[in-house]
Amino acid sequence: MIVVGVERLVRFKLQSWNAFAPGLESHHAWREWLLHPSDLSSELGKTSLKQIPPMLRRRFTELGRCAAGAALPLLEGIDTIPGVFASRHGDTPLTLSLLEGIAEGEPMSPTGFSLAVHNALSGLLSIARKDVSEVTAIAATENLIPSALIEAATQLQDHPRVLCVIYDLPLPELYKPYSDSPPFPCAVAMILSREEGDGFILQSDNGQSSDRDQSDDFMILLRLLNCLESSVAFGSSLTRSRWRISPE
Amino acid sequence: MSNLQLEIKQMIIETLDLEDISPDEIIDDEPLFVDGLGLDSIDALEIGLALQKRYGIKLKADSEDTREHFSSINALATLIESQRAS
Repeated sequence: MIVVGVERLVRFKLQSWNAFAPGLESHHAWREWLLHPSDLSSELGKTSLKQIPPMLRRRFTELGRCAAGAALPLLEGIDTIPGVFASRHGDTPLTLSLLEGIAEGEPMSPTGFSLAVHNALSGLLSIARKDVSEVTAIAATENLIPSALIEAATQLQDHPRVLCVIYDLPLPELYKPYSDSPPFPCAVAMILSREEGDGFILQSDNGQSSDRDQSDDFMILLRLLNCLESSVAFGSSLTRSRWRISPE
Repeated sequence: MSNLQLEIKQMIIETLDLEDISPDEIIDDEPLFVDGLGLDSIDALEIGLALQKRYGIKLKADSEDTREHFSSINALATLIESQRAS
């Protein structure tokens, strides 16, 4: 529920989570890596996605494989669930290749175009899982993770549980001077619930915002999920808006 | 399998990211869409674009003829041969 007042806050329960990055696919692997960080590959490498039929699997780009790799293990045994899909930059390698094709005067690939829209991935998963539940695709320049969680937690008013998937790739070299992005492909999937799991409060925070960029936000969220922090804050130095997630 | 049929199959495998499928698994006279190979409407658009790029063939998306041309590898081969002859 959303409480309107001096403080903006939303409550949710976290039923389950899963995260995906090159070489990191289990809770145990993530916890070990967060305790002893090392450089990860900037490319995802091979993924199996055996839950997806082969004719559909070929449509998953690196970003899609990363997000699906995080989400699908959580969805086993769940027939229908609404989803919030959040990515700050979207499928930038794909959109860049389409733009380069336009610049060279080549006709655009219909498949490439159809997959470049921000809700393409949620559509593919919906087809693969034969789940026609509503999906919401979010892009946020700032505070992507709190924005996605606010959307998913708000949807708990209509649904007993909601899938929330947050994912991004490193930007192509051409774009890197203009924005920050995670240093490796990373996706976090969470099932938010009204009833089941540990309770959290997400609220606006009046603390001092730092000038750091957002490329660490995935790690901040993962430290919370792995119980390495009991409370974490996300903030934007631009708008001075800050959000804190803490246990209920 | 004639050279043209093989060429079309290789074009389809390449343009549609069907790396797991070999040319001899695509049957010359079987349907390409839904029941046969299992391609979908986006694949149809992609094949249309590939035919245009490689053979200079322009098709109308909504014509009944196009449906016929796309029915099998053999039908595509007939289309390409007729285009070459004209």
